[in-house]
Amino acid sequence: MTSSLGSPRAPSARQAARPGRRVAALAGRCALVVSAALAAVAAPASGDDTAGTGFAPDEVARILSHGPWPPPVPGRDPSNRVSGNADAIAFGERLFFDTRLSSTGLVSCARCHQPGRYFTDGHERSIGIAPTDRNAPTVVDVRGRRWYGWDGSHDNLWSQSIRPLLDPREMGMTPATVARTIRREQDFACRYRMTYHRDPPADDRQVLVDVAKALAAFQESLASGRTPFDDFRDALARGDRAAMARYPEAAKRGLKIFVGRGSCSVCHVGPAFTNGEFHDIGLGFFAAPGRVDPGRHAGIARLRANSYNLLGRYSDDPARTTATSTRHVVQEHRNFGEFRVPGLRNVAATAPYMHDGSLKSLREVVRHYSEIDEERLHVHGERILRPLRLTEPESADLVAFLESLGDGTPVFRLTQRARPACEVL
Amino acid sequence: MRSSAMTLALAAALAATAPPAPAADLPVFDAHIHYSHDAWESVPPADAVAILRKAGVTRALVSSSGDDGTQRLVALAPDLILPSLRPYRTRGELGTWVRDETLVPYLEDRLRRFRYVAIGEFHVYGADADLPNVRRAVALAKEHGLVLHAHADADAIERLFRHDAQARILWAHSGFERPEAVREMLRRHRTLWCDLAFRSEHGTGGAVDPAWRAAFDEFPDRFMVGTDTFTPERWHYIGEHASWSRAWLASLPRPLAERIAWRNGDALFGAEIAKRGS
Repeated sequence: MTSSLGSPRAPSARQAARPGRRVAALAGRCALVVSAALAAVAAPASGDDTAGTGFAPDEVARILSHGPWPPPVPGRDPSNRVSGNADAIAFGERLFFDTRLSSTGLVSCARCHQPGRYFTDGHERSIGIAPTDRNAPTVVDVRGRRWYGWDGSHDNLWSQSIRPLLDPREMGMTPATVARTIRREQDFACRYRMTYHRDPPADDRQVLVDVAKALAAFQESLASGRTPFDDFRDALARGDRAAMARYPEAAKRGLKIFVGRGSCSVCHVGPAFTNGEFHDIGLGFFAAPGRVDPGRHAGIARLRANSYNLLGRYSDDPARTTATSTRHVVQEHRNFGEFRVPGLRNVAATAPYMHDGSLKSLREVVRHYSEIDEERLHVHGERILRPLRLTEPESADLVAFLESLGDGTPVFRLTQRARPACEVL
Repeated sequence: MRSSAMTLALAAALAATAPPAPAADLPVFDAHIHYSHDAWESVPPADAVAILRKAGVTRALVSSSGDDGTQRLVALAPDLILPSLRPYRTRGELGTWVRDETLVPYLEDRLRRFRYVAIGEFHVYGADADLPNVRRAVALAKEHGLVLHAHADADAIERLFRHDAQARILWAHSGFERPEAVREMLRRHRTLWCDLAFRSEHGTGGAVDPAWRAAFDEFPDRFMVGTDTFTPERWHYIGEHASWSRAWLASLPRPLAERIAWRNGDALFGAEIAKRGS
């Protein structure tokens, strides 16, 4: 059963089951790309222009740091024993699109994470059972992050997947109602058995965690594809002028601002265009009159109090190998009003923007940084944020660059991967 | 020298005799509050005063961009608000005020019309502290008997003291300096006090960092806490900040905790508080 939502981009179960081989192959390719890049950068430069590329050597280095894409596939999540498991991915996909996991029977994960909208919903602030305070971020390219959520209140993807299930404004379930649904609905119970090789246990919280781990396995499989920027970046790395010339001039000028005087790449760093951390960018954070969204400050408190974090008993990694950040994260006053730096791949497809969806378009985002209100920034806070004072053409160029981070095709084709043994029930 | 010996004796007495403080009831003197133009609508004056009182803040050193915000709060709660005159009409002037020729007349006019306990919080770094506007602000503070609330590096603090060796200076954020450097400055200047606003490392997790503890022990009468409400949203952090402060203060002997929580603030501004009869 396949829909017409687009071409599949998720790695196949076979690929996912053999991560070591894929990583090794990619690592070899990376080494070659880096060699070629260094050769290109080392080529004679005229003035501040590296080999006629239009970019200075330090700009070239920054551009190359935004690739390669796709990145080497990270290994399985050691805290999730079904990470990368094909049966878990199939189970998670079914759960993700199913409304039976909401207290009203009307809301699924896909309500706020719609494949056709690059797994966002187009609303300023998402609406589950009731309106929420925040914009739904995409769930594409979420594999292997250190923190999840606008406030980083989760340190792993399965824990993050529990939050909307239990939030009264989103899906309104409890551990007991989730577990009851899994035990009662025969297709769910069947897929649970196929994934975990046992019946759903009597422990409600354990069933909830297992559901979340299947949801995480599915979301890990959602990866974005190559973009015009990636083609340019790789052409720059190997010194291929003909391929470089195919990248639009406006996007090139915007890229120069992005890695240059805009300092955007200081926080939107690396292949995913995010440092994965939290910053105050001078936006207001009143959630409603008289009520603030404290962002990262409350997120750290929630992370520590969360029994589903990487230090808790539900992690499948006895060595807690990925829990170092959780163990050492420190709550500071500056965290009040900080929100996660989002990745920028396919950013043009995920409007509106920011934690509260308050900026409707990429133009508005660029304007925000161009005219940033310094009165909202602490002098000992985000020191790189100063008004860019971009001209209209420069703003348009920066938007053109951001648009070049789109892969142009839907990321996912709904498969509801067939499990005949379960479907006949 | 004599003062230093007295301070050490006081610290020893505090440490030797007092048990850790059950600090839930500690009043708080918040030495770093702003009520600037962007806050007036989203946090109206009555709400602002209610937030302070609910947090157990018994006095607040308030400076605003522009000063009308401070005056609105003083009018509503003269027992609670200690007004400080900020040399900014909007917060955006924090980087330009030292060279803005219109600023001194603004300060002089406000000082004629209203009563203050301090000038600041103002920002100044290095040699900018020698500019005429800054010298005039120091002179005005001397003339009116006011404290200077300076967000400055150590170099600028030294220069302010050169302009007036008897100046009383409240060093905003303790200059974001390391505790060892803060102690060094406090040793050199008997009329230097420090607020701890917008820094967290001295009391993370409810425990006092040993290097900061040494600073508090050596100078129990020179530190005070502060929230720094530099955006309207941060008014809603005042309560949490007061609780956070009480948590780390609870690990100190009660007399020392009380000094940092409120007594040092009341002592520094005691003359003005006494005049108000509160």
